[in-house]
Amino acid sequence: MLTVDAIDTFYGEFQALEGISLKVEKGQTVIVVGPNGAGKSTLLKTILGLQKPRKGSIRFQGEEITGAPAHKVVERGISMVPEGGRVFPDLSVQDNLRVGSYNPVARPKAQTQMEQIFDLFPILSDRKKQAAGSLSGGERQMLAIARSLMSCPKLIMLDEPSLGLAPLVVNMVFDFIQKMKAEGYAILLVEQNANKALKVADYAYLVESGKLIYEGDRDSFDQNPYIKTAYLGL
Amino acid sequence: MLEQLLMAFINGILLGGVLALLAFGLNLIFGVVKIIHMAYGQFVMLGFYFIYYFYTAWHLPLLVAMAGGIIVMGLLGMLVQLLIINPLLDAPRLNQLLALASLIIVLENLAQVVWGADYRGIPISMPIIQFGDIFIRSSYLLAFLGAIATLGILYLFLHKTYFGLAIRSVAQDVEMARGMGINPKVIYYITLAAGGALTGVVAAFFIPIYTVHPHFGASFTLMAFVIVVFGGMGNLLGGFISAFIIGVVTSITAVLASTEVADILALVMFILMMMVRPQGILGAKA
Amino acid sequence: MKRNSTTSKLIMGGVLLVIAAAPLFAESEYLIHIGTLILLWAFVSTAWAYMARFGLVSLGHGVFLGIGAYIPVLLFNYYGISPWLGMLAGVIAAVIIAAILGYACFRFGLIGDYFALVTLAMAEVVSLAIVACREITGGSLGCTLKASEGWADLQFDDKRYFYYIIFAFLLLALYIWRRIDKSRMRLALTAIEESELAAASMGVSVIRFKMGITLLSAGLTAMGGVLYAQYVTYINPGTISGVGVSLSTCFKAILGGMFNIFGPLAGSAIMVSLEEYFRVSFDTGFLGVSEVIFGIVLLVMIIFLPRGIVGSISKWLNKRFDAARS
Repeated sequence: MLTVDAIDTFYGEFQALEGISLKVEKGQTVIVVGPNGAGKSTLLKTILGLQKPRKGSIRFQGEEITGAPAHKVVERGISMVPEGGRVFPDLSVQDNLRVGSYNPVARPKAQTQMEQIFDLFPILSDRKKQAAGSLSGGERQMLAIARSLMSCPKLIMLDEPSLGLAPLVVNMVFDFIQKMKAEGYAILLVEQNANKALKVADYAYLVESGKLIYEGDRDSFDQNPYIKTAYLGL
Repeated sequence: MLEQLLMAFINGILLGGVLALLAFGLNLIFGVVKIIHMAYGQFVMLGFYFIYYFYTAWHLPLLVAMAGGIIVMGLLGMLVQLLIINPLLDAPRLNQLLALASLIIVLENLAQVVWGADYRGIPISMPIIQFGDIFIRSSYLLAFLGAIATLGILYLFLHKTYFGLAIRSVAQDVEMARGMGINPKVIYYITLAAGGALTGVVAAFFIPIYTVHPHFGASFTLMAFVIVVFGGMGNLLGGFISAFIIGVVTSITAVLASTEVADILALVMFILMMMVRPQGILGAKA
Repeated sequence: MKRNSTTSKLIMGGVLLVIAAAPLFAESEYLIHIGTLILLWAFVSTAWAYMARFGLVSLGHGVFLGIGAYIPVLLFNYYGISPWLGMLAGVIAAVIIAAILGYACFRFGLIGDYFALVTLAMAEVVSLAIVACREITGGSLGCTLKASEGWADLQFDDKRYFYYIIFAFLLLALYIWRRIDKSRMRLALTAIEESELAAASMGVSVIRFKMGITLLSAGLTAMGGVLYAQYVTYINPGTISGVGVSLSTCFKAILGGMFNIFGPLAGSAIMVSLEEYFRVSFDTGFLGVSEVIFGIVLLVMIIFLPRGIVGSISKWLNKRFDAARS
């Protein structure tokens, strides 16, 4: 479904990604694990078209999207949950969701989508008129996830969804990722919390300082001695 | 004297409405594109000339001429985006400021070349309304009501349409807005077009009040600036409230002293505000 | 690096030699007049760039120009006070005003475009104040310096005097630029520009260094105002104070390249010549056409040469130099 092939991304002269390749198949949940500053966010931004890769190619559903602007990529069916539950703080909860359905494919379905989302997240329905900035950290993360569903995506990318949340809320977030997986969404999840992420993963990649270090399915990841000590704390 | 002050107060409120509209445009552009449109008052001057031109040279009915002026100014706003702002989006803020400042030179002298240095205007006589000892010019009242109505429409546009939503989200966080599938360039064009059209609207309300000359716009740029800073840059509600404060203060000072003193006072308020409370009267401390 | 600095020294010396010798070969008074104006604005915009190259972009140097121009003229016209004393009074007054305004700005931590906008407003305040005091200053009609002749009153019929006097001041300004480059002040101001907090925590007195460069810049700019008034002998608030002249001062430095010692000079040469050229070639027919073209040229240059002319050329030369070496 998504094929990333040997991409290099730079910020000015600083190289953030070096020859990264990965694949997400239909309905699969793929995780990218790695320390802070390894380039995981940059990877997602490059796929979405917020950053342009200098080299390499990105294909989605058989079509080339390398270097396409983000609004085209979103229209094709990729959405992103940005890091730290980044929502528009001065917009109401409802408006945050509506922004999610801005692209022309999603717009006609916005109303029904929103009703479904309010069923899934009753808390958001209760606060729909409230400014998103007034929500708690966990609620903001929920809103960010809900908003990513509004664009009628086929692939959802999540950037560190557990960052800075209380353990109980982290569990809720991962429960929800399970639910999305069950509904058939393809998921690309970037996480530092490798323990949690591996439980939902079909396939995993390890990235360190912009380079791909290791890849494998859940079991081989679990058993890799380096990953065990460095990331799983075993 | 008391009546004079009361009338100055009322005129300040009425003109404050129009200034609020003008400041709204400047504020919107700053909030969304993060650019300080130094030539915004000159746009009002140009809008005035276009309405005047459509009315006198093409003999269009006044309302049609006004509509034409508003449309032309909207298009000119987009042209500024295309030719000046787009190439400078990533340039240092100072270069953006200076580019738009040199646009002032271009626009003022262009007006002089095309229409000459004389005062031009469309003579419209509008009745004066009397309440006891107080006289209110109906042209001011009309401008006030029109400005408030326009602001209402803008509010609905920003809050009830997808474009309005996109404008508000780009203003808050461009990168995330892009991630939502919004093309900021398109939003910038819409913002500049709306901002340009607003100067046309302001010019239309000014037609019965003023005559125009090539340097007519400078004082409005100044006023709009003072108001925007006073209310907090990018804060639309703050700008709305401060328009009335500035309108009343300058109008009363002009009666008590002179227009220069009124302008100096407005500027000093601007300077002090920038120093002591740069976030404006309503803004939260950054 | 070594090679580069010797080349730039050679170029520098060459340019200054040409300026010094130019009046000996210039036939017409008119050309000397244009040359004088170029040197004058080069002097002023060099002084402006002292601050700007450390991120203190003032759009209000019209304040100091206006004070420098008006004080000696008014003192001479009303009381017959020698322009030499007037010059001293004007420069001191400008420095005092700069101290007050600068301290207020720096104390409240105004930086970047906030600083630029506040200084712009200050320029307009001074210009409006000059207009408002019309009984003394002549308001927006301006005032004319009483005619005289000779060193005592600093007025000369022969334009060459002013050419060389102003050239001497320009040399002084360039010399000070070099001194700043070699001083602790440059290091401190560069650190401050990068991060005031970091600089302060390293024990750099942020306000003191900013004040120092501001007073220096304001004093020299006021001197430029004095020279303008003595040379042109007619001043009005529109041309020597206010927003217009403040902006055009920084236009010159930016077009030339405000980070380069010769940038303001090059920018002034180009702007003054362009202005004159357009004025002479268009203004017989349409009033304003020259300014329209001038404004468009400015716009195009700001958009396409954001580092300024000297900045762009030296970047290009460096590239060539590096390419040739490798």
